[in-house]
Amino acid sequence: MKLLTHNLLSSHVPGLRPGGGFPLRIEVREGKCEGRDPPETPPVPAPPSPLRGRGRLVEIPLLPFSLPPEPLPDYEANEEFLRRLHHVLLEVEVLEGSLQCPDSGRRFPISRGVPNMLLTEEEA
Amino acid sequence: MEAETSEDHLKVQKMKKKVLRKQVRAQHTLMRHEGIKCIPHATQSLVIANAGLGNGMSRLQLLKILEEYGAMETLLMPPNKPYSFVKYRTTEDAKKAFNALNGKEVTLEDCGQNIVLYINFVEKVSLQNAVPTSLPPGLMVIEKIISPEEERKMLESIDWKGDEDTQNAQKTLKHRRVKHFGYEFRYDNNNVDKDKPLPGGLPEICSPFLEKCLKQGYIKHKPDQLTVNQYEPGQGIPPHTDTHSAFEDEIISLSLGAEIVMDFKHPDGHTVAIMLPRCSLLVMTGESRYLWTHGITPRKYDVIQASEELGHKVRAITADVGDLTLNRRETRTSFTFRKVRRSPCNCIYPSVCDSQKGQQRPVQPSFPQNEMEASKLEQEYVHKVYEEIATHFSSTRHSPWPQITEFLRSLPAGSIVADIGCGNGKYLGINENLYMVGCDRSKNLVDICGEKHFQAFVCDALSVPIRSGSCDACISIAVIHHFSTAERRLATIRELARLLRPGGTALIYVWAMEQEYKNQKSKYLKEKNGSKNKDKEMNTGTAQRPFSDQEPDNSNQDSAWSDQLLKGLKDESCGAKPVADFRLPVHTNRTSFHSQDLLVPWHLKSGAKKKEESVDTVLVPSGSKESQELNPVFHRYYHVFCEGELEAVCRSLDCVKVQKSYYDQGNWCVILEKL
Repeated sequence: MKLLTHNLLSSHVPGLRPGGGFPLRIEVREGKCEGRDPPETPPVPAPPSPLRGRGRLVEIPLLPFSLPPEPLPDYEANEEFLRRLHHVLLEVEVLEGSLQCPDSGRRFPISRGVPNMLLTEEEA
Repeated sequence: MEAETSEDHLKVQKMKKKVLRKQVRAQHTLMRHEGIKCIPHATQSLVIANAGLGNGMSRLQLLKILEEYGAMETLLMPPNKPYSFVKYRTTEDAKKAFNALNGKEVTLEDCGQNIVLYINFVEKVSLQNAVPTSLPPGLMVIEKIISPEEERKMLESIDWKGDEDTQNAQKTLKHRRVKHFGYEFRYDNNNVDKDKPLPGGLPEICSPFLEKCLKQGYIKHKPDQLTVNQYEPGQGIPPHTDTHSAFEDEIISLSLGAEIVMDFKHPDGHTVAIMLPRCSLLVMTGESRYLWTHGITPRKYDVIQASEELGHKVRAITADVGDLTLNRRETRTSFTFRKVRRSPCNCIYPSVCDSQKGQQRPVQPSFPQNEMEASKLEQEYVHKVYEEIATHFSSTRHSPWPQITEFLRSLPAGSIVADIGCGNGKYLGINENLYMVGCDRSKNLVDICGEKHFQAFVCDALSVPIRSGSCDACISIAVIHHFSTAERRLATIRELARLLRPGGTALIYVWAMEQEYKNQKSKYLKEKNGSKNKDKEMNTGTAQRPFSDQEPDNSNQDSAWSDQLLKGLKDESCGAKPVADFRLPVHTNRTSFHSQDLLVPWHLKSGAKKKEESVDTVLVPSGSKESQELNPVFHRYYHVFCEGELEAVCRSLDCVKVQKSYYDQGNWCVILEKL
């Protein structure tokens, strides 16, 4: 799971407060990091769509990278920021671990890079 | 004197009239019920009403009656019918028989009842020839397994009178006498108390016989339970399969005292009647033990083959009407030996296995009547099936569909796109300038995406864990037709729309009821041979196959339920709810659809990797044990969409507008835009 995917995901446990369930807490047992931080190559593809909504970046233990907690005001013109953002969002992957709903505490396992977000019949 | 004569004359006249009346009535009955046409002029052939196996006439007696009038070519006695056909060598002889026998009263030798024969001429004697019947798989009858001397000793060893009230389980059931040894067979639960063996075990007299069976390889394990049944003429045993959890595979039964006909029946209705000669051993294993029922019809006569090939009586009774007769039953005693089962049965016939109850899936589910049933149906007939067939399914899904590729290529670089129901991820890598994430209900399919290094996760299309408004585009390809109610189909589209940002677009494909549109057959109908197509695809790399449903082979799955369904399901399209409770029909692959809601078979290729547990062995009619094990058939639920139906569902949502709506190779498709 790349961190951009994580950025799209939200907990969907029924009964959350409106807008709840985001961002999911990441627990990493095994991860992968391609390229370097800061990356030397220009971001490919072009910078992903702006971080929509609440673009808060999440603390991720074990994976070393440096980013400001909020997108800079003029980030779209800031190449240095975009490179770093690209690296974090597209070159860092969680292989084993879990995602945890910040509101309900429900954990969703990640195994071989694949999050299992399926709710049980009782939950759904 | 004269008065008396005229009275006699009157009487004769009256009798003649009565015979004529009855003869004519017999004509009508034969025509109406059997389609047998009687004719007014004389021929070589006669139909003789009231002289049939069905009303107690034996072949031997009828032969004796008929041969008085000349030489016969054939005598046909259809089973269970109250008439027979005879063909004489000459029309003269037939006329003689007609004149002598029409209206004649005959006493049936076997039961002493009087009957009157009514005779008519027919054009010719013709009934379809019998199909040779084969024994149920796993069944054997070994003749003369014991000598008459051993038979006598074994019969004498059973004391029917002495121990009425001892603990030795003996009961006079309604239809027969039984006695149990080793363990008592309980008729209340059709099982044995496995921790309560009867004292004394099996009678010592059986030992040499059992040793022989073991030595000859008829059985592999020494039985520890014996049930002795005694059937008087007219008695029987209802059709049953011995409880799977009670006994091991091999069940053997010795016929003593007399022969009898036992009826075997497959769940598909196919029946085979088998003659069990005196002193023979019936061995039931595998399919015949687990799947077929066996029983003895309570009656005093069995219909059996008249001729005996060198004294061979062991065979399935065919419907060869030229060779059937009645056989009077005598007292028959059977010794049935079984081995009590110590672990749950794990046979390959879960539909009839009490050990596997609960795990088993009904052969055919009903149309869901509520939300819970709908969810259950999808669980069993969509989710579980895709988990099971994932690897094989994925191996048949590699060519992306051109118009979907076009949609994905037309999106601006950097777009975030979700593929809801991504399967093996064949669209996730179409356009590398997109950021695509896929999700699917099947973990096994998502794992395949993961192996290909695509972004994918497991979830249900009704509840997608993606933030609202975060996607520039979504695709839902061949997914929504797996939801079993109109509400649920609408809900998946609503969920899809939720993911889109305003101005974002969604492409939806569902399988169409109309597999022929504007005089064009879809590829699904045209590709009659899936494997050929696969080769072509691999050779050229360009051939397209509809993703909706490609079957790897073109097998003829029974679709007997279609008609029934058509009645129950007239217009479920466009939100109208079906009322009738009906079983979902099973679709015949690569044919037109006859119903909107149906089960589509997936024939799992042998060798394809699948999970070992819970193999759904939906019964393949007449399938042998091997074919079921190697090629299990899975059924997936589909709701195929009618023209306009998908569009109508989309239009019912306020948050989207339909940009485009089209038909593509047997699929209905829309492009939605989020408002």
